[in-house]
Amino acid sequence: MTYEIVVLTNMAIAVLFALSLNVITGFCGQVSLGHAAFLGIGAYTSAMLSKAGVPIVITFIPAMGMAALIGLIVGVASLRVRHDFLAITTMGVVFLFTGIVRKQELLGGEIGIAGIPAPDFGRIGLLMTSLLCVLAYLLFTIWIRRSWTGFAFDSISEDEDTATLLGINVPKFKLFAFIVGTAGAGLAGALYAHQVRFIGPDSFGFVESISVLAMVIVGGIGSIWGVILSAAFLSALPQFFQVIDDYKLLVYGLLLFGAMRFAPDGIDGLLRKVSRWRAVK
Amino acid sequence: MTTKRLQIKNVSVKFGGLSALQDVSFEIDDNQLLGFIGPNGAGKTTLMRVIMGMITPLSGSVFLDGKNITGLKSVQRIHAGVALGQQIVKPLRQMSLLDNVALASGGAKLLSPLRALMVRERSEEREVAQELLIQVGLGDHAQKLPNELPLGFLKRLEVARALALNPLLLLLDEPLAGLSKPEAEQMADLIASLPRKGLSVIMIEHNLPQVQRVCPTLYVQSNGRALAFGATNKVIAEPEVRRAYLGVDA
Amino acid sequence: MLFVDLCIQGVIQGAIYALIALGLTLVYGLLRILHVAHAALFTLGGYVGVLVTNGSGSFLLALMTAMLVVGVVGMSSYTIIYKPLLNRTPLIALIASIGIFIASEELFRIFFGAYGLSYVSPPLQVQIEILPGISLSQARILVVILAVGLLSGVGWLAINTRMGIAARATVVDPQIAASSGVNVEIIRYGSFFIGSAFAGAAGVMVSLLNNLVEPTMGAVPSYKALAIIVLGGLGSVRGALIASLALGIIESFGTIYVGHLLDRDSIAFAFLIMVLMVRPQGLLVRG
Ligand SMILES: Nc1ncnc2c1ncn2[C@@H]1O[C@H](COP(=O)(O)OP(=O)(O)O)[C@@H](O)[C@H]1O
Ligand SMILES: [Mg+2]
Repeated sequence: MTYEIVVLTNMAIAVLFALSLNVITGFCGQVSLGHAAFLGIGAYTSAMLSKAGVPIVITFIPAMGMAALIGLIVGVASLRVRHDFLAITTMGVVFLFTGIVRKQELLGGEIGIAGIPAPDFGRIGLLMTSLLCVLAYLLFTIWIRRSWTGFAFDSISEDEDTATLLGINVPKFKLFAFIVGTAGAGLAGALYAHQVRFIGPDSFGFVESISVLAMVIVGGIGSIWGVILSAAFLSALPQFFQVIDDYKLLVYGLLLFGAMRFAPDGIDGLLRKVSRWRAVK
Repeated sequence: MTTKRLQIKNVSVKFGGLSALQDVSFEIDDNQLLGFIGPNGAGKTTLMRVIMGMITPLSGSVFLDGKNITGLKSVQRIHAGVALGQQIVKPLRQMSLLDNVALASGGAKLLSPLRALMVRERSEEREVAQELLIQVGLGDHAQKLPNELPLGFLKRLEVARALALNPLLLLLDEPLAGLSKPEAEQMADLIASLPRKGLSVIMIEHNLPQVQRVCPTLYVQSNGRALAFGATNKVIAEPEVRRAYLGVDA
Repeated sequence: MLFVDLCIQGVIQGAIYALIALGLTLVYGLLRILHVAHAALFTLGGYVGVLVTNGSGSFLLALMTAMLVVGVVGMSSYTIIYKPLLNRTPLIALIASIGIFIASEELFRIFFGAYGLSYVSPPLQVQIEILPGISLSQARILVVILAVGLLSGVGWLAINTRMGIAARATVVDPQIAASSGVNVEIIRYGSFFIGSAFAGAAGVMVSLLNNLVEPTMGAVPSYKALAIIVLGGLGSVRGALIASLALGIIESFGTIYVGHLLDRDSIAFAFLIMVLMVRPQGLLVRG
């Protein structure tokens, strides 16, 4: 039973993490290759505070706040660059994050932070908390999507120059996406820290950033349900592959390639194709 | 003296070594339709972009209704009342024509994501958009995606979208280019019907017969310099204009 | 003395970066794609270098074989990964490329083991005194010679041959180039071949400098090479070469002077972000 709970909690955290990137990349069209840095900022903030005796659920707030604050700073910096320049700048952010953490004694340096307190509400409690967080964040992003903010995002993600000519204050909307997205990642990080109870710089690197981007893209950029499905599936994938543990990354890499090569619109595109096909029949 | 709708004072722009605009000045009143002609590369599009705040000029200033807008960003100028229909159509291809126009008529919501977050209703803007689409003759195509329509229709969408911004000054960059003769005629009539109290229009065009037909005043630019300004018939007759623009020796 | 020493280390590192970055820049210039899988080609070069040297005893043969093999594999990466995705958003190709890169790291591990391979008797280890008090191994000197030689060779080709001129025209505007009779496909294959072969050469040299080639050898240099081509202005070959050299030198000084704040690998990105904030289009605009 514990095993299933752990797997489910991991899935919930991955879904939250992917939904948060979906706001930045999916809704607003800003590619980020460094989103794991914000997972890390949330995880470290929450871990340090809860080790200092702050109740776990309370640490979620500063974890989100810290991630969003740094997200805002990165967002402001990102306003100056576009497209591939933006992609590589955000990639730089994740390398800077791990590079700085590695050299900080206070943050445990290379070794990381161990002995993060177990949640006093138990494993099931943590699963429930994670699910609640996912649900709350999900509802919030659905709300965004359907509001005028989402409407404006649609235009920005397609062509920001045109969006500007329609009277949209593009920088403000982008920063909003960065804040909401990085805060979500911070929350996922806080949950993650208490799920694994040991964190180090290697848990929040470039590969993790790519994995979450893959979840968003495999889900179909911008599609909330596709992203949830793909995040749940891709995060559970390593569990299915226990048997072939040695080939886990090989399969994962080929899967990424295959998904892009053969279904570049992601799960969302596949679902649409299937429903269209049904409609025709 | 009444305030002018638009005043351009001594604007100069350089791209690297190339002088795209040299000390250009002119002005236009309210309720006007001004034709703007000049050979390719004359700096017409560049001047429109200066007015929109998409290019910062080397020197010179732009006034809207007597207010200096030179320091404002594009988005602020748009909300102050300038709108541009671009030479190269830029529809948002992921949304219907109706939503293209409805989004542009979102007004102050578009300035703040928090304010926009509070609003989910789009019906009012869609109504406005539907009317504008009817006005430009796209009423039957409101639900279509831009990719389903030919260029001539997208040109009209460009105009409808700019009108949705509810501008005081509408800039149209070659709205007739690429249209068939009857289409161009229709579009020119549409544009000629736009000016009213509270709206002036500047139309860049190469289609001289249509310009002569609908524009009472004309501004000519060549090689980044203002060449002539005044009543269309007079301007067209000026030897300098004929030489520079029509390639005819006077 | 330390100053000169750091400069020399920087130049050597910069030469390696330049060899890797050339292929990335060429691919970006032609396809507007960030070719992450390029890193796997670099690693492949290292493996071929070690295997052929150990098998035949000739390092020169190994270097040439590596360049040839990696060049050909690079061309096939265009066919397999990118060609089918050209009319998709570049993000799709980027992720596909990352997928291939991850998978190939695993393939190296499965075929050659997790702990890597070494030279049985590493060649070119004789120390030569290049300046009073400063000696470098022949291998280090060869890195710089190789980079200068190969890169100026390409520079010469680009300026003086029909292919080179056609390639530059294609970078500036593929449509115009194609309509004036340039065979864009051949240019692409040629660029993939040259860029990959150079990365292969860099892989051989790095494997020799470390006397080790391991599955993950490509990761960090390739991320940095991405930073380099962005720094250089994306698609600008000259910009990428300048940025390679600049980064090599900055890293070598940075490790000494800010090493307690940032690890070596993030210095590159700190530098990148600083430059982009001042010049969002990179050091040089493409051309
Ligand atoms: N962004 C730019 N960078 C460099 N040169 C430009 C740019 N935009 C326009 N130009 C040049 O400025 C001149 C004027 O261009 P433009 O305003 O587009 O002319 P027009 O619209 O009258 O045909 C042309 O020579 C053009 O090549
Ligand atoms: Mg023009």
